[in-house]
Amino acid sequence: MPGLASLVLADSRFPGGGHVHSGGLEEAVARGLVTGLDDLGPFLRGRLRTAGLIAASFAAAAAVLAPTRPGPTPATREPQRAPDARSDSGLPPDRWAELDGELDARTPSPAQRDASRAQGRGTLRAVRAAWPSPVLDALVAVHPRPHHPLLAGAVIGLAGDGPAEAARCIGYLAVSGPASAAVRLLGLDPFAVNATLVRLGDDLDDVVATAERAAHGPVADLPAPSAPVLDLMAQTHARQHGEHVRLFVS
Amino acid sequence: MRARASLTVERDPDGRSSVRELRSQSPLALVPRRGTAAGRDPAVTVHLVGSASTPLAGDDVELDVRVGPGADLVLTGVAAAVALPGTDRPSRLTVRVDVGEGASLQYLPEPTVITARADHRTLLSATMGPGARLRCRDVLVAGRSGERAGRYAGTTRVCDGSRVLLVQTQELGDAVLQGSPAHLAGRRVLGTEFLVWDADPQVASAGDWWSLTPLAHRGSLATAVGPDAVSTRRDLDAALLAHPGWAAHAVGG
Repeated sequence: MPGLASLVLADSRFPGGGHVHSGGLEEAVARGLVTGLDDLGPFLRGRLRTAGLIAASFAAAAAVLAPTRPGPTPATREPQRAPDARSDSGLPPDRWAELDGELDARTPSPAQRDASRAQGRGTLRAVRAAWPSPVLDALVAVHPRPHHPLLAGAVIGLAGDGPAEAARCIGYLAVSGPASAAVRLLGLDPFAVNATLVRLGDDLDDVVATAERAAHGPVADLPAPSAPVLDLMAQTHARQHGEHVRLFVS
Repeated sequence: MRARASLTVERDPDGRSSVRELRSQSPLALVPRRGTAAGRDPAVTVHLVGSASTPLAGDDVELDVRVGPGADLVLTGVAAAVALPGTDRPSRLTVRVDVGEGASLQYLPEPTVITARADHRTLLSATMGPGARLRCRDVLVAGRSGERAGRYAGTTRVCDGSRVLLVQTQELGDAVLQGSPAHLAGRRVLGTEFLVWDADPQVASAGDWWSLTPLAHRGSLATAVGPDAVSTRRDLDAALLAHPGWAAHAVGG
């Protein structure tokens, strides 16, 4: 059962600024690649199995890393405030740097790296108020705008949920945002769009299983499936967003 | 067939590059370019020749390439590789390259065609020394004309010292994924070209079906998706023209 953290982070009312991103859907609509429900399903499925799998895997790996403590195995996962966060938290900052670098290396599009970090930055303010922890400080020490999957995964791990919950939350967010954007961009029936989203359940289960398995292995071996057209579109969208009126940032 | 091949190129005292070690085994042959043109070029060009019909299921080919400090190597294919079915085991191609300080490597194999019922896996693992330059082109064709693609998964991993620059797995053969507007949007050919070649672009460039993006730390990636190998390579060439380091090299020869 998912705990409160993954429910809160996946809630569209969570004040993290995720609603300004369409995950490439706006550009796909502008190019005529997605015109209605018939194309929306394949778009979302492709997104989930590529960008979604990467995000879910890194969230799961962050959830594994976040509660680690020196000495005894973490029996309780309550975040503890230490007088000196860096030494007492016992967090290996290099592991967070490694996750950050490996996720950067799997995100060849600067527009997508920026979208991920913008959402991380937006989420950071909200989660620091709710789940203060030196772990978040360690993550921010690596980069002031942490990648969203790493931050969300760390919070879910700190709150006591495991990598599977982190993967499910972030995998779901990889498609729920674009699905909701589809309602606004194409004027689709919200009930039908919701049904399309729900039909991705089996794919999401696969993503969660793959992500959870990978999260316990070496960071270098985390999945890296590419989404070529999504990458192309992200750059065109960024240019269009700068020059013309667009509804979404990405 | 199981084959191990290796190639070492070093820089001679006179500034020219030469082949120091060359071992190849069927089904992969390494053939250095000879002749007067080769004699004038300070870089070494070696052709990759599939000496039998490859890659065939069950084939396991490994190639180690080392370019010594300051040396320049161009490693090119001569014909498209056609991944064919055979036994129930996948075919594998593993290429490890090590580009030394101030050295350069252009790895330009011809397109790989993933025929129906093929199951082909590749790994390209590259490490680069300080000031090294690397260009890797990869063009994948999802099946012959009118044919569905077999299965393919190819991972590229490039490291600069201890820092990772690019990790990417290309997957073909899943009709749902290939048809998705997020993946190949129903197109058949996927081209990528990785470049660490002097100055990276400050910002990304994009055409309708190609982009050139600066990576997070160093290097750039060109991506093109097209209906055929010819137009996809043309789009990759267009993307490369937007790369300041490569464009200066291409103009200056």
